[in-house]
Amino acid sequence: MKSIVCMKAVPSTNQVRLDPVTHTICRDGRQAVVNPFDASALETAVGIKERLGGQVTVLSMGIPDTERLLRDALSRGADTGILLSDRAFAGADTLATSYSLSLGVKEAGGYQMILCGKMAVDGDTAQIGPELAGVLEIPCVTDVCEILHLTDKEVQVKKGVDGGHQILKVKLPVLLTVEKDICMPRMPSIAGIRFGETGPVAVKGASELAADPMRIGLTGSPTQVIKTFTPKRQSESIPIPGTPGEQASQLAILCKEVSR
Amino acid sequence: MTKVRAFTSEFDEYRKDESRSVGQAESISFPENEEDVCHILKQLYKDKIPITLQGGRTGLAAAAVPGGGHVMNLSKMNQILGLRCNGGRYYIRVQPGVVLSALQKGIESKRLDTAAWTEEEQKVYEAFCQEPEHFFPTDPTETSACLGGMAACNASGARSYYYGAMRSHVTGLRVALSDGSMLCLRRGENFAKGRKMRLTKEEGGEICLELPLYQMPHTKNASGYYVCDDMDAIDLFIGSDGTLGVLTELELELLPLPAVIWGISCFFRKEKDAIAFTKKVRKEIGQAAAIEFFDEGAIEILRRQKARSTAFSSLLDVDAWVDCCIYVELHCESQAEALDTLYRLGEILEAAGGKETETWVARNANDREQQQFFRHAVPESTNMLIDERKKIDSVITKLGADMSVPDEYLDEVVEMYRRSLKEYDLESATWGHIGNNHLHVNILPRDGEDYRKGKELYAIWAKAVTKMGGAVSAEHGVGKLKRAFLEVMYGRKHMIEMARLKRQLDPYFILGRGNLFPSTILEEGEGKEK
Repeated sequence: MKSIVCMKAVPSTNQVRLDPVTHTICRDGRQAVVNPFDASALETAVGIKERLGGQVTVLSMGIPDTERLLRDALSRGADTGILLSDRAFAGADTLATSYSLSLGVKEAGGYQMILCGKMAVDGDTAQIGPELAGVLEIPCVTDVCEILHLTDKEVQVKKGVDGGHQILKVKLPVLLTVEKDICMPRMPSIAGIRFGETGPVAVKGASELAADPMRIGLTGSPTQVIKTFTPKRQSESIPIPGTPGEQASQLAILCKEVSR
Repeated sequence: MTKVRAFTSEFDEYRKDESRSVGQAESISFPENEEDVCHILKQLYKDKIPITLQGGRTGLAAAAVPGGGHVMNLSKMNQILGLRCNGGRYYIRVQPGVVLSALQKGIESKRLDTAAWTEEEQKVYEAFCQEPEHFFPTDPTETSACLGGMAACNASGARSYYYGAMRSHVTGLRVALSDGSMLCLRRGENFAKGRKMRLTKEEGGEICLELPLYQMPHTKNASGYYVCDDMDAIDLFIGSDGTLGVLTELELELLPLPAVIWGISCFFRKEKDAIAFTKKVRKEIGQAAAIEFFDEGAIEILRRQKARSTAFSSLLDVDAWVDCCIYVELHCESQAEALDTLYRLGEILEAAGGKETETWVARNANDREQQQFFRHAVPESTNMLIDERKKIDSVITKLGADMSVPDEYLDEVVEMYRRSLKEYDLESATWGHIGNNHLHVNILPRDGEDYRKGKELYAIWAKAVTKMGGAVSAEHGVGKLKRAFLEVMYGRKHMIEMARLKRQLDPYFILGRGNLFPSTILEEGEGKEK
């Protein structure tokens, strides 16, 4: 089974800095970590490789420092990495990103399955998986929480929906976006780290991929961020005077008001 | 002013600590500052009422379990009081009830409440906030421990292998004596002459102490008073198990956080390979800040716990072939140094019979958290197992050894534990600080008979460890549960010397009565001498 896993570097804290001009997240690589949903996607792919054989390629678009995270993925069982890194890719929305990633997929040279995290914890859009499947014109199943059966022709998956689950059978090639708890990501071993440090990671620019300049970066992004702001904390404390009995009654009234 | 209150049933939880021992008391207080402490001490001193000191009650030797009298719980003395800088190093002043996790969080996030600090200390804090990250290196598993309690039993943790125990990081203490008078001790200012020590009270007046004459073991040690020739006076109070004074303020040294911290779990098929690996790592890897051990019994408890409790379901699976695990934590100045060290560790592992593929390396916060969960789940799961067994037979309680030996006895002591556990047919789980030859062998009694046999075995081990030049308590302190072992280690004569030392500071034997030695030891001892 030949799989491609899309991975994104996200800030390690929720205190992100925003670019005052483009209103997009400043990605300077400081304390960037791999999106936790993507870690589950990687583990799913590596698990499949271990059971059925094959190869796992990890794919990301980001600043040069993102190579560090792809090498970490190699240490956890991936075989090769492709990083799309070019100033021309900067400021991309999900549409431009999906197009760019599709070029990376072509660069990987053939696949039966693409795995993505259900969403990234910074943007929270959950759009990349479905949009990438759209560009590649392959079927897509989102929110997969279990792979029930897999052959070289088709896959049967369990997908979370409101109030229950769906079981779906899909022909390969397919793109799946996975829930975090589909599996437990492994830790790298010393041997894995040795491979991760030296294993093949190709860094590709826009021209090497023959990217259409109108479909990448800010130019290729129909989404324009007009304004970003940090929501103000909406909490205040109200002192409740009186005896414990009076305080309890007053508190009960307040609780009712809040729950209304 | 904080009141002394009657010990009604609402305070029942203050009758016990993490050792699962239960005591009783007549009154309780929760002082909020030094003035409160001194006031209560003066009040109780008049009536010679015994006082048991408490913090987070996380101790494992029952030092905080009252044997009657008064309970002084210091958990409300939980303020961080100030910060000073000297020669580029930072020193933080805290009340004894500050919880370790609160200190760790405060330093890490650099969000300390400095409103009540002096202007100068606020300036130091501003400079501190601009500095790279710092940390407090003493890291017992139980982070809800109070810093006062940690100093009182000279607590340590995994990283004590490299950074030393609590003692190494306490640079100042304010101590209230049993009569309410105060001592202010700063490291490096007051030394004993041989075994004679002079202390000056803040109120005026000198105390001349005759220190016990025993030689302490050259191992990790939290057994009895710290005494040696020409010692620093502050060290007498660290590890004194709440028997010499009330620690009302501590000054602690903070260290710059290493740039790179990686944790490596190495799995072995044979225990002897793990020991060979440990010895080699100790010799060759200077960047190892912790070397920890988990045996088959401990790993099996985790497997069972994971299968039956959702709270433990996110534990990583350990393969069925695994017999034991060694965790090594590397503290390095750069990624390149860490990588070189990791590769060297891998070579040592392969030479010792392990495999580089059979390791977990935690290099980021997520993986570190996962590994820490694994390590901390071991004692937690063991306690849960014992609590279950206690429901069937109330006599059962965990029997946890806390003994250490010098480096050259590591093989011998492990061999002794294994041989005798087999001979006595006892279930056990062993983990702990193998880098310091300090293993917590936990006997898991299945019934009352196992419990009796386990206690018998501990007494045998205490004798053997003493013979090897080790300590009967390396980090938990002696408290009330390990008094008999302390006597095995030092002998009756030196126990009496310890009690006499206490009497010079606490003439009515008020503080921590029953900790280290029975309160009647002097009457018995001196009766015999006559």
